[in-house]
Amino acid sequence: MQNFINFVAKYKEYVSLVALIVISLSLISMGDVTRIGGFRTVVVGSTGWLQNMFSWIPRPGAMQSENRALRELNLQLSSEVTKMRNAVIENKKLRDMLNFRDKSEYPVIAAEVVGKNTIEMRNYLTLNRGKNDSIDVGMGVRNDAGLVGVVIGATENYSLVELIVNRDIKITAQVQRSRLNGILTWEGGEVFELKNVPKSYDVKIGDNILTSELSNKYPSDIPIGYVVEVKEEAGNIFITIAVKPFVNFATLEEVFVIKHLPNPERTALIKQMDELLRARKGLIKNK
Amino acid sequence: MKIVFNLGQKNRSRGIRYIYYVIAALLLSVINILVLDFIAVGTFTPDFMLILCVWIALTEGQFVGIFAAFLCGLLFDIVSHDVIGTNALAKTVVGFVAGWFYRENKANVIIGSYRFIIIVFICALVHNLIYSFFYIKATDISLVPFFMKNGIASSLYTTVFAVLAMLFKIPRK
Repeated sequence: MQNFINFVAKYKEYVSLVALIVISLSLISMGDVTRIGGFRTVVVGSTGWLQNMFSWIPRPGAMQSENRALRELNLQLSSEVTKMRNAVIENKKLRDMLNFRDKSEYPVIAAEVVGKNTIEMRNYLTLNRGKNDSIDVGMGVRNDAGLVGVVIGATENYSLVELIVNRDIKITAQVQRSRLNGILTWEGGEVFELKNVPKSYDVKIGDNILTSELSNKYPSDIPIGYVVEVKEEAGNIFITIAVKPFVNFATLEEVFVIKHLPNPERTALIKQMDELLRARKGLIKNK
Repeated sequence: MKIVFNLGQKNRSRGIRYIYYVIAALLLSVINILVLDFIAVGTFTPDFMLILCVWIALTEGQFVGIFAAFLCGLLFDIVSHDVIGTNALAKTVVGFVAGWFYRENKANVIIGSYRFIIIVFICALVHNLIYSFFYIKATDISLVPFFMKNGIASSLYTTVFAVLAMLFKIPRK
């Protein structure tokens, strides 16, 4: 026993290092951050309050950039409005003819951005609306241009939004024209990537990318961006599609929280499957 | 029975230093929330907490440095909404690495010289390498290009701020 104590005392740095690494890895393997959700809620509330205090600091560069983006968007939208109006009338007529049910539009809650965090390729917003305004964790967030992110934490007066420009993000998206579905990821930089799409699929530069109906996390048909590049490699059967987002994330000041929560039954089923797969992996490893 | 704690001058000053470290860690967390967005260059942000971890390890030694770095990492995970444990692990290793450069009663000299910059850069590289490993595990990006692009740039940016930290070096007696 004395020998063991002497050994620990002699190599206390190494023993501590190993012990703390084991603790860290155990914490990582827990994975599910909701286990400390209560504490994080306090952090979100406190940071929201702090960021609100400093939100008055102007950012001239951001405003200039936003003005330019808005002017371009306005021009684009005004020409599209006419087309849309015609399309809506035509669509209504056709739906009436086919006795289709009208697609419901989700109500939205307008919110101001009071804080932004950029931490190692993960971006977050703090909004000045919270549970008192019926905002809840899991609601999608967009602005006039397109998809912004999803609410990951909410207190009475503030909510925290995980932006889609986030290293962990995976969005089930679809090409508007060909209805092709794929998984959109972000690896830093200005564009998203739609990977592992077979060469034979119909994707063209300029195609709009929307959230897919297959996604349980985001409401469907929200614009995300447009195809700017289709990368083909010799000898590879897949193509990589570069997608430029419609939203200018550097200049976000006002957003809309979509009052729509993912289907809890579907979410529970996915979670259940996820846990089952993890357990199976664990069993295989243990064997 | 009356228990009297007779703390020596050395222990008292150490205790005060520890309180300063806690305050510094909390302050850097707040700075992290409020300021980081203003000084981010693209997706690269400096890691103030890493500089504090290196500072503590160089001042207090490897043993204290490891524990301080672990706690700082845990705090950083909570504040930055990261997966709990990733920064704790990376920063624990940083505390260990920085502790190698600890020399008793030489903290002032080391922190006040170019050696501090080099140590911070080495530690930042180690930190980002470990952190990159966790990042690429969730995606299909390869480690080397990702580390070359993001790890080294972030390390350099953190090192720039280590120069500012040098200005706060402990005054010589």
